[in-house]
Amino acid sequence: MDITTISSFSKEDLEKALKRIKRSIWVYHINTGGCNGCDIEILDVLTPWFDVERFGIKLVASPRHADLALVTGPITIKTLPRVVKALRAMPRPRLVLAIGSCAVGGNIWFESYSTIGGFYKILDKLHELGVEIDKIVYVPGCPARPEAIIYGVALLLGLVKQKVHYVRKKA
Amino acid sequence: MVKFVKIIPIALKVGTVTRKYPFERPLITESFRGAIEVDPVKCTGCGACTRICPPKALSLIREGETLILRYFVGKCIFCGMCADICPEKAIAITKEFELASENLSELNVDVEHELKKCVKCGATFVSTKLLNKVRSQVEALPDDIAELCPNCRRLEILKRFTGGR
Repeated sequence: MDITTISSFSKEDLEKALKRIKRSIWVYHINTGGCNGCDIEILDVLTPWFDVERFGIKLVASPRHADLALVTGPITIKTLPRVVKALRAMPRPRLVLAIGSCAVGGNIWFESYSTIGGFYKILDKLHELGVEIDKIVYVPGCPARPEAIIYGVALLLGLVKQKVHYVRKKA
Repeated sequence: MVKFVKIIPIALKVGTVTRKYPFERPLITESFRGAIEVDPVKCTGCGACTRICPPKALSLIREGETLILRYFVGKCIFCGMCADICPEKAIAITKEFELASENLSELNVDVEHELKKCVKCGATFVSTKLLNKVRSQVEALPDDIAELCPNCRRLEILKRFTGGR
């Protein structure tokens, strides 16, 4: 039996696992057809200027070693099978950080013929294929600032509180 | 080996460059553009910003008898064109960038507008605030045809010209 298809990963297990990886989270970077802007910002985060290794965040070359996938880009139709393959290779808990406007909402390619348009649109497809995503954090920005990416990881690990909330104002 | 030793005085001179971001203020310059903020008092719901917005992050949605100006941060590219184009100067660019969220629906900001009803057919056609603004600026607009929807207005004016035939 394929280990990745087991969906008996409860909420308590996720909390336990998050507590375990809080001090050292290994990330794997997937570019799914982005413009490289967010990729350069991710590179910025890993340089000594921001130095995320003080939080134990480390870039790894294989999704099999990774706790967190950094997804940038609006998921083009060409890259979709590779994204699914890379996410399937990740061990549970499978955490995803959707970085940049493209990965969050599709940016200006939200209704283009060659893109899916945002990571949230493939969630159902991933569920059908047996690839469960345990936690997603969306980081808007075009490109997202290095500080915003650090904040997103901190939010994913539960170290900071969420700042944005749904607001409905009356004019 | 010798080359590596040369680095040591340089490194000592420069010192630590790491920015301790969560415990230190982020490096935000004067020209940085973050999320926008719509002032609900000034906004009239004309929809100029929704037309200029490249990724359609701003959109006008009709929900029953209310008009909603929805700002979805997830699609925004922070170009600032909406702030330039707004005739009321109701849109301000803030320096907010910590917008990460676990839920997509949390990234929405709605501004609710009241819609004006046509006195003849009862259809909603424009926000009350925009109509009041137009009426205050256009003097030649008679009161009886100002509250009609575009279709009824056409029929009414045609009726006046032809004398009711």
